[in-house]
Amino acid sequence: MAKVTMVEAITMAMAHEMEKDPSVVVLGEDVGLNGGVFRATQGLQQRFGKERVMDTPLAEALIAGISIGMATQGMKPIAEIQFSGFIYPAVDQMINHAGRLRTRTRGRLHVPMVLRAPSGGGIHAPEHHSESNEAMFAHMPGIRTVMPSSPSRAYGLLLAAIRDPDPVVFLEPTRLYRLNKAEVEDDGKALPLDTCFVLREGEDVTLVSWGAMVHETLQAAAKLGEEGISCDVIDLATVAPIDFDTILESVEKTGRLVIIHEAPRNCGVGAEIAATVAEKAIYSLKAPIGRVTGYDIPMPLFKLEHDYMPSVERVIKGIRKVLEA
Amino acid sequence: MRTFNLPDLGEGLQEAEIVSWHVKEGDIVKVDQPLLSVETAKAVVDVPSPWAGKIAKLHGKNGDIIPTHSALVDFDIEGGATAPAKKEEAAAQKPAPDAKKGTPIAEDSGTVVGNVPTSNAVVAETAIIRKKQKKDPARVKALPSVRILAKQLGVDLASIEPTGKNDTVSADDVRRAQGGGAPAAAEAPATRWDLPAKRADVKYGVAEPMRGPRRAMHASMTKSRSEVAECTLFDDADIHNWQPGQDVTVRIIRAIVAGCRAEPELNAWYDGEKLERTIHERVDLAMAVDTPDGLIVPILRKVESKNAQQLRSDLNRIKEATRNRSVSPADMKDPTITLSNFGMMAGRYATPVVVPPQVAILGTGGLRYDVVPVMGGIEVHKRIPLSITFDHRCITGGTACRWLAAVIKDLERPH
Repeated sequence: MAKVTMVEAITMAMAHEMEKDPSVVVLGEDVGLNGGVFRATQGLQQRFGKERVMDTPLAEALIAGISIGMATQGMKPIAEIQFSGFIYPAVDQMINHAGRLRTRTRGRLHVPMVLRAPSGGGIHAPEHHSESNEAMFAHMPGIRTVMPSSPSRAYGLLLAAIRDPDPVVFLEPTRLYRLNKAEVEDDGKALPLDTCFVLREGEDVTLVSWGAMVHETLQAAAKLGEEGISCDVIDLATVAPIDFDTILESVEKTGRLVIIHEAPRNCGVGAEIAATVAEKAIYSLKAPIGRVTGYDIPMPLFKLEHDYMPSVERVIKGIRKVLEA
Repeated sequence: MRTFNLPDLGEGLQEAEIVSWHVKEGDIVKVDQPLLSVETAKAVVDVPSPWAGKIAKLHGKNGDIIPTHSALVDFDIEGGATAPAKKEEAAAQKPAPDAKKGTPIAEDSGTVVGNVPTSNAVVAETAIIRKKQKKDPARVKALPSVRILAKQLGVDLASIEPTGKNDTVSADDVRRAQGGGAPAAAEAPATRWDLPAKRADVKYGVAEPMRGPRRAMHASMTKSRSEVAECTLFDDADIHNWQPGQDVTVRIIRAIVAGCRAEPELNAWYDGEKLERTIHERVDLAMAVDTPDGLIVPILRKVESKNAQQLRSDLNRIKEATRNRSVSPADMKDPTITLSNFGMMAGRYATPVVVPPQVAILGTGGLRYDVVPVMGGIEVHKRIPLSITFDHRCITGGTACRWLAAVIKDLERPH
């Protein structure tokens, strides 16, 4: 079994699907010759040729638009946006066409495409390179939004996203690309979409996180575990639609919920989770729902990004507040 | 000797500026040890050492701009054992991740901006897709507010039989449990006051226009407030000596007539603009009557000329007329003095409002038993509370006092 980083797992998933399914193509800025800004498409052009791994002009609306067109005509495009801060020109295509073609054509056309983009901060990058904009996509009907938090989930969920008959925005936590490795078998087994993953089982408090913050959340849970506080740690994985069954069941067990995300707090995905838990599990809540999030400001430049992103200490503080309520 | 050239730091940038060196000539360095920080157009990045060995020469100092692929550092490689082959050297100068295992060359940083944290640590993890679980029947369902109440009262929620909606423990359940399981006692604090029902005839929260008598009241009271200098005097008439069968209202009207005989200045009209006063001989007494539609003030004409029976029949007539709303405007025109007999419902004294051009209004409160000193002892007597408001612009306090004294004197007569 190969020991791979998350970015290698992503390459592996794309290569696996391209090998198996000739309708899968890759396109984006520098994805061919260069292998992608984060090397996620490294070697794919050499292996599958320029017809299937296409370098595009620097035009995100075009990348999304071409992908939608190809997808409606039987291809399975995987488009790469270099950084999440440059994704906005593509958003119009995603909202107005990718998310709606199935409805607009009464099911005659559908859009089996994946829009991949790195997401989140923590790599000391300049402005526009560290955005966490998953809530924006989560708010769009007709589009799935997925954020893996480990090499194995990146592999399994990307396979599922490519095979899904509808558009998926696949946001990859840049900070986790090479943070560590895991054993991932290149067996072509997809993981289910719209499903949360329980990473640690506990009784005292439910922690829900996704993307890179799962890393800090697990560290916080491990530290609190040393004090005998047991946390049920849930990786949301599919940010929209949310698997509320798993979350509600956990909250009904623990009675306490803390949501951890890197994105700004205001109207973040955490707000939706908190609202639904308040609606459906209020009789089980023993304490107010807590959120540990980024601040409602643009992601700061890299000297201050670690003050912006929730640290393990901030996560622990947020959990304690809910435990002591 | 090996020369390490500045690698392409991404996006085809042609050059980089040296920010600072982390090593100096003569240092022994390991693979991946940061050699220097350089600034590209996008960010400051550290350049790691591709080889282990001794630094022979640094090409450039802080602030220098180095073109990509030009010499950066000369290395003395020990013993030549780890000296890279030519092919690998090329790889070192143009980093690629596919370098052969164990060959100490620069790793691709994996990004064109910033610094992607990298490690070879293998992390084992478990990720469970949870199947639907059976619900724990012992699980307590309660609102957070109820949980707080239980905490405050020191009640264990799990020990309580839930009676709330959806099998939840309610606040009442918690209070009952705290009361030691005696349900009746625990229910003592009533949650609702025993109050009369909400008035069905009232439109709450809606601005309604003032109509009819209420509009008239607004006009007359505003005029009074802006013109009259009101002064009110209070006293009581002791009616302990009344013979049986006295008609209270008729007796009060007779007393007003008596007062006006003594001090006719209160039975008058006053024109403040002309500074003129007209004292009347006749007493046209306005009677303030409360109705659902508002205050209606019909007039008993020439009460000074009538006897008790006539007054009573007049009173009954106007009472009936106000109830039917058949009082004509003529019936309410030009009174000389007013009586407000408000005490039937509640109230002892008041400060009734004089309506110009009249100059006085008498208010009578409810008849009541008072403790009064009588010849060094105490007795309980029935008394009528009196309040006379007069227009101080044209009537002196002394006049008003004398008028009230005459009223009291007449009221206190046995018949």
